[in-house]
Amino acid sequence: MGLDLKMPILVVDDYQTMVRIIRNLLKQLGFEDVDDANDGTAALAKLKEKKYGLVISDWNMEPMTGYELLRHVRSDENLRVTPFIMVTAESKTENVIAAKKAGVNNYIVKPFNAQTLKSKIEAVCGA
Amino acid sequence: MASAAIRKTATEARPRRRKQDSGETEPQVDIRMIAQELTRVADYISRLKHEIGALRANELYRNRLPGAHDELGNVVNATASATNSIMEAAEEILGYDDNDLETYRARVQGRVMDIFEACSFQDITGQRISKVVEHLAAVEKRLSHFASAVNARDTDLPPDPEEARRQTRKEVFMLNGPNSDGDGVSQNDIDALFD
Repeated sequence: MGLDLKMPILVVDDYQTMVRIIRNLLKQLGFEDVDDANDGTAALAKLKEKKYGLVISDWNMEPMTGYELLRHVRSDENLRVTPFIMVTAESKTENVIAAKKAGVNNYIVKPFNAQTLKSKIEAVCGA
Repeated sequence: MASAAIRKTATEARPRRRKQDSGETEPQVDIRMIAQELTRVADYISRLKHEIGALRANELYRNRLPGAHDELGNVVNATASATNSIMEAAEEILGYDDNDLETYRARVQGRVMDIFEACSFQDITGQRISKVVEHLAAVEKRLSHFASAVNARDTDLPPDPEEARRQTRKEVFMLNGPNSDGDGVSQNDIDALFD
């Protein structure tokens, strides 16, 4: 697979079931170092404390959305190269384009399966 | 509508009062017109009172809307509880030691039965959602009857500043939630944008 299975991954979602689903899928793919945050603000704090190899974030969250988190990450000198995958239930083209312009590396539409998650992680972090 | 009718009646009556003051004979027809207008206004107010009563606003906000609210809350709780049970079972199954296949099989079968049991939430939530639909249909029917009976027109009230701020933020940063069937683009189309 060419992936560093030891890389820390941050899962950001305000819906705990989705966090649990993504955690389990990542575990099945072999990733063990997975943290989570329930919105962009909490995620940003964690990103400043620890170096993550990948952020997997929902879009719709309060008080800070995934889109705002992405813009913060891309504007931060220390975080700007962190791979970022957006996961959302909405797939309107204009939103995907907005996320792409803001610097997202990939975009997954819910519901998704392990294979989709795996292929996106490979596309973003693969050797 | 009622105040407009009263204003119109008063405007028509004013010049004729001046005529009366100047000693001219006031035609009886004007008094009849005023009486007719006032009768119309009274009829309108009476009909409006009847329509407001038919709206049964107290029943709507005391029973129907809280009923819908409670049912939806129960649906959220039941769904979360079932999801939790299913995920717990699945996580346990993934963690079982499979060295002893007989024990492994028995434990997996036990937890799979728990998953089937948890899936029964769909029947209950379906019934609850039907009740919500019934409450909303009652609200919609009464409001639509009231609006057409009183010829209601929506006014352009200035937005609440806090609500306006929330709405702007929502429009700029938030999405509208899951797509309806056939709406939005597929994962393949999205992938093409990243190729």
